[in-house]
Amino acid sequence: MRGGGSALPRAGATAAVVVPLAALVAFPLFRLVQVAWQEGGGDLSGVLGADGLGTALRNTVVLAAGVTLAAVPLGVVLALVLRRSDLPGRAFWQATVLAPVVVPDFVLGYSWTQAYARAGFTDTLLGLSWAGVQGPLGVWLVLVVNASPLAYLVVAVGLAARAEPDLERAARVSGAGSATTLVTITLRLVFPAVAAAAVLVFVLTLGTFAIPQVLGAPAGFSTVTTRIYADLSIGGDPASFVEAVTLALLLVLVAAATVAPADSILGPRLRAARPADAQAAHPVPGRQTVRRAEAVVLGGYLAFSMCLPLAALALSSVTRALGVPPTPANWTLDSFRGVLTVRTLEALGRSLGLSVVAATLLVVLGGLVAVAERRRAGRATASLITLTLVLPGSTLAVALLIAYGRWLSGSLALILLAYLAKLWAFAHRPIAGALDRLPPAELYAARASGAGVLTAVRTVALRPLAPALLGAWLVCFLTALHEVTMSSLLYGPGSETLAVIVLNSSELGRIGPTAALSVVLTLLVAVPGILLWWASNRLRTRAG
Amino acid sequence: MLVLAACGGTSTGAGSSGGAGSSGGAGSSSEAASPEALTLYTCVSDTTIQPVLEAFEKSQPGSTVDLFRAPTGELNARVAADVRSGGLRADVIWGCDPLTVQAFVDQGLVGGWTPPGADAIPTQYRTDDYVGAAVLYLVAVHRTDVPAPRAWSDLTGPDYTGAVAVPDPSVAASALGALGWFAAAPGYGLDFYRDLKSNGAVQVKTPDDVTTGVAQGIYDAGMTTANAAYAARDDGSPVDVVWPEPGAVAIYGPVALATHSADSQVAQDFISFVVGADGQRVLGEAGSYPTRPGGAGPTVPADAPIVFPDWATIGQSRDTILSSYQQLFGG
Repeated sequence: MRGGGSALPRAGATAAVVVPLAALVAFPLFRLVQVAWQEGGGDLSGVLGADGLGTALRNTVVLAAGVTLAAVPLGVVLALVLRRSDLPGRAFWQATVLAPVVVPDFVLGYSWTQAYARAGFTDTLLGLSWAGVQGPLGVWLVLVVNASPLAYLVVAVGLAARAEPDLERAARVSGAGSATTLVTITLRLVFPAVAAAAVLVFVLTLGTFAIPQVLGAPAGFSTVTTRIYADLSIGGDPASFVEAVTLALLLVLVAAATVAPADSILGPRLRAARPADAQAAHPVPGRQTVRRAEAVVLGGYLAFSMCLPLAALALSSVTRALGVPPTPANWTLDSFRGVLTVRTLEALGRSLGLSVVAATLLVVLGGLVAVAERRRAGRATASLITLTLVLPGSTLAVALLIAYGRWLSGSLALILLAYLAKLWAFAHRPIAGALDRLPPAELYAARASGAGVLTAVRTVALRPLAPALLGAWLVCFLTALHEVTMSSLLYGPGSETLAVIVLNSSELGRIGPTAALSVVLTLLVAVPGILLWWASNRLRTRAG
Repeated sequence: MLVLAACGGTSTGAGSSGGAGSSGGAGSSSEAASPEALTLYTCVSDTTIQPVLEAFEKSQPGSTVDLFRAPTGELNARVAADVRSGGLRADVIWGCDPLTVQAFVDQGLVGGWTPPGADAIPTQYRTDDYVGAAVLYLVAVHRTDVPAPRAWSDLTGPDYTGAVAVPDPSVAASALGALGWFAAAPGYGLDFYRDLKSNGAVQVKTPDDVTTGVAQGIYDAGMTTANAAYAARDDGSPVDVVWPEPGAVAIYGPVALATHSADSQVAQDFISFVVGADGQRVLGEAGSYPTRPGGAGPTVPADAPIVFPDWATIGQSRDTILSSYQQLFGG
């Protein structure tokens, strides 16, 4: 396993980045550009000058900026508060914060109307309802709540990998207050992770579709993605299709115009080489009263933003019909019986397998880009892989079909390629935010001391990067597991995923079956998660 | 459950002939696989399509159907992508509105053949290129604690101020059909939508979203499909269904043969079966409205008024009427 010369491994490493980059990003995007240009006759003014597009574009960018400005600070606060091992009920909060990640977006939109709109929970119990939940403000709020787990996860991973409790202690001992320590030490150290979260949330929101579609429609609120779906839905004619593709490319341009400068300016400045020996990430203990107050505020936020809407969803899964009180007299398991079929289990098995494979490959691909972008020649790679994240699922699926459908149409392999293309940036950014822990000198030292490549990577690189790798894997796995749009467009005989079942279950406006699937999915993720957490705690206790 | 499982097996375990092999290659599946296999693209609901496929395969032993079912937006995207990567991979397309299928005809993808028994289907549900297999009726759904609207125009009145939902015609072809019909109807026109808007009506994306919102209690009434409205009522939601004057708007879902599969006997047999007496019976029992007169199907009240949009006109004036509508409702 020991590489004698450096040319061959370096060529291999370059190919390991360049080939997937070409296959997953460059070629599909090229095919979209080709369709837009050739079939649009080279004249895009008709599409770009259409009535209402300016408004939709402005809505899209303002929404993405607004969601980023709120969700990222929220994610930072959540990560800082949940970092404290002395926080009462910490494990429960950590799990609850992540709960929305496994619920399909369009069901999440419904759960908010069921909680807060007219005739919803709060209206029934307190006589309080909020009409604005179905409008721009509601779209913004639900997207913030939906994006905050992602921001939290990326920042928490950054904290785990980059925090320097010894520095924090030193600052406190030297007389700095907790706020000063937070600003001058902790936040400064975690800033690369914050920047990573901001890029992901911004780009993801640019391309988000289901929540603006479900909650924005009553207020006539349109975004570029809702216009793309309208183009695909009505007509089936080539002109509408070309318009949809052109609008998707417009999103790519917006993402490129914002992310590339941010990456080139911020990227090198945020990097630093620091020792690989990660310190135990236990922060300086604080006052118990402060911890209790934090727990109360956290509880209030989670109750409002997650528990109530998700409880509404869970109750919908056992209530016999919409609009009847969710009391035990109206409870039934019919929705669960309806969705728990052999066909669902087969699809679930495929989705689980796909998600595991995708998440694992994505961690490798994300790590490769994180390393590649540190070299001059590879700097643009990080920005490039965000370009497929911004594409709405429908358009990315179309791009991959046009690129590879001739050989892979209807196969699981094509769905896997779509997941890799969509989520590459998801895997890369958390890893890149933690890579400072990997100074090349220590790898070289290990190799010079006789360690093989694998041994050097395992002993020097993996340990400090483990939280980032695990976080990246988890976010990719969870997102792939409940992905609906791409796999429902790409599947074929023998490759039905859970998405197909989810869409089938939501026919006729029935929410119960989809809610039941969401509950099953949540349990499926939560139960092994809790068991793993319990097992790792036991091991840690024994080791201690 | 057994039906679902069995039909899941149909699409996943079609043996050596109709399995993944047929969709893995480019071009017509009937060329690539056994002559008894066909690929169907449809947006018809899963609860309808599965029993129809099962009945067809039972009536034609040895035949298998590889199914791709998705909402219209995804279906259109798949067809458009197929066309740009080696050609349409479906032998039969069963759409949910004539506008979409006509666009496929205009592109030369489907059409040119209807089954010999097609004349049993009313003329307003067929052309020389395709024949309607199922109908959606856009009706009014309302909460049981508000008065039932007798006519569509009632929804612009004080009983429903601020509490009516309509589906978005820029997303749902059925809503576009309704918009096209109202725009041309005497006494209605676009003024009907203007009056709805001034009465505080809002648009949601799809007819199903209307049903959900009315059943939840967010709205008091709205325009939705009869299937969804009756399903909510039968589930126990506090809603009822009205076929208002001057009529429920009929939106038919045509089935058409792909031009590259013009010689595929099994594809032709499938279309013949779906619009034939047996297929229409299965379809009606599965909860969809058949196009063939006299067959059993879901609820249609006695003397229910029904109106039929002029799809050719709607196709030509789509952008104009949508633009006028969007000035009122946005989107």
